[in-house]
Amino acid sequence: MQASGTKLVLGIYTTLFLVFLYGPMVVLAILSFQTGPEGGPQFPIIEWSVYWYKHLFGMTPPTRIAPLPIEEALVRSLVLAVMTMIVSTVLGVTSAQAFRKKFTGSGFAFYLIVLGMMVPGVLVGLGMALIANALGIDRHWWGTTFVLHVVYTYPFAFLVMLAILNRFDQNVEEASWSLGVSPVKTFGKVTFPLIFPGVLSAMLFAFTLSYDEFSRTLFASGRDLTLPLAIYGTFSVEVHPNVFAFGVLTTLFSFALLGTYAALMMLSIRRARRVAIQEEA
Amino acid sequence: MAAVLQLSQVTKAYGALRALDGIDISLPDNAYISLLGPSGSGKTILLRVIAGFEAPDSGSILFKGERVEAVPPHRRNIGFVFQNFALFPHLSVAGNIAFGLENRELNPITDSAVVRARVKDIVALVGLTGLEDRGVAQISGGQRQRVALARTLITEPSLVLLDEPLGALDANLRTRMRAELRAIRERCGVTFLHVTGSETEALAMGDTVLVLDRGRIAQADDADTVYNRPRSAAVARFLNCYNLFEGQLSKDDFISPVGRFPLQGQKADVRGQPAYAIRYDRISVRPLAAPVTAEEVRIEGTFIADEYSGAAINSFFSLDDGRVIEVESHLSQAAPQTCVPHGRYALVWKRQNALVYA
Repeated sequence: MQASGTKLVLGIYTTLFLVFLYGPMVVLAILSFQTGPEGGPQFPIIEWSVYWYKHLFGMTPPTRIAPLPIEEALVRSLVLAVMTMIVSTVLGVTSAQAFRKKFTGSGFAFYLIVLGMMVPGVLVGLGMALIANALGIDRHWWGTTFVLHVVYTYPFAFLVMLAILNRFDQNVEEASWSLGVSPVKTFGKVTFPLIFPGVLSAMLFAFTLSYDEFSRTLFASGRDLTLPLAIYGTFSVEVHPNVFAFGVLTTLFSFALLGTYAALMMLSIRRARRVAIQEEA
Repeated sequence: MAAVLQLSQVTKAYGALRALDGIDISLPDNAYISLLGPSGSGKTILLRVIAGFEAPDSGSILFKGERVEAVPPHRRNIGFVFQNFALFPHLSVAGNIAFGLENRELNPITDSAVVRARVKDIVALVGLTGLEDRGVAQISGGQRQRVALARTLITEPSLVLLDEPLGALDANLRTRMRAELRAIRERCGVTFLHVTGSETEALAMGDTVLVLDRGRIAQADDADTVYNRPRSAAVARFLNCYNLFEGQLSKDDFISPVGRFPLQGQKADVRGQPAYAIRYDRISVRPLAAPVTAEEVRIEGTFIADEYSGAAINSFFSLDDGRVIEVESHLSQAAPQTCVPHGRYALVWKRQNALVYA
């Protein structure tokens, strides 16, 4: 009796939690199907339509509502996210590899790296802007912003790889060395294939964090806006459901990305399961 | 016989702990050497130093006449078989075995036909034929052991280090793999250095048995000598077949806490702490009233329990100071004295059978 009562309460709590978590997204998704151009971003839905999706791609007759100025911002954000992902993951993998052995100052270096994800973004962004001004460096999304994105996402990649390498059986590498295979080749042929699931996670972290980074970017980027900034810019004028339509599309894009990740992960897990069985026996 | 590996005064310390404390060994070519050491004696560290995974603090390591302390592991050509096998989980059986040939720094073999032929040979040698395409998780423990061995042997090292290679196998398989390991080694003509914590395994496997005690080689002899004449009380203790008494040596007696043991001209070995050792199977159990001859030593004990192991019975007696004495009676020799629980018996052995350390 007691147990089932607790179960019920926990069940209701969890349901409410999930509703709060996804409610806003669902509301936006529904409102994106509002009719246009007279329908606004509020209930009730006057008429269901895909007007705002068409509007997004410039397939509607011109009205007083300007199309979202996001085309270039989207490209910029994607390029920036990919650049950040590559650099942060490489840094994360190599530095986590270095941290497998204690070295002088390793504790200090660890906190320094992790600090990058702890300090408030507004501060770092502002600081970068000030330094850039003082040194006479132009602020660009591919320059100052890119550096800040790496500083921010690199600790995540680093921590993911640290956790993966922690569970890694060093004997496997030593076995390879004792067969006459050089440490560099061993990394490529043994270590990397085995830590690949971790590398994928690190990449995903770096990409998604960079893609919707706002506060650091706000101060550090120059004239050319990234996607989050561009969308924010449209809010300050007037909100139309075309933003919601765009939100739905980017969410779908994210799901596609996650799907790819999951598929790659499945392959790796199948391999990891083989490792697990080997260790049990 | 030429020595393939020579260590002299090798030391390695971790903080205050001297894990290796002046190791001197010389391993002959083409031999099976077993290294017996209890856990914590430094045996795994010794192997890792020889393989090059750890650097010694001091001392020299000569491998085939050349100093190798500064040579990285992949340039030493010393094979290593891990206790957990450490197979490459992302490769098949054949992939694991071919790995060293294809990827080694010195003289890698790029011709896949040659690799395939070599893999086929070694697979036949270790008895894995038919399993080449399996994943390493799809084979049994004993088969994994063979893959680990084949992967090492295919690169033709002059020395193979085996770190408790049978530790991960069940008891039945362990006995079978012992014979198999010896046979494989003989066919390849390399030197095996087999580290184990099991005294029976060490005695059964090694042409030479090295005994490691607290970072030092306590004895290096053939199995028979190690078993019958352990050089120190510590070695006798590892062998798990000696009752040991601490005490003092006087002129004609060994004075132990349970009484004086008269000696018979035994020359005491001068190594380590003084001790008096008598093997389990050298003691006979008699009723209290039974007569004792002049060259026999007699003590009394209370019977606790016995343990039947097929060919022998091991009986346990507690002495007056609380210590427990073990007696092994081989059933093939005579029906042993049947003992009543809590009954008192005389434990008797011949003077000359005891080993004395001072």
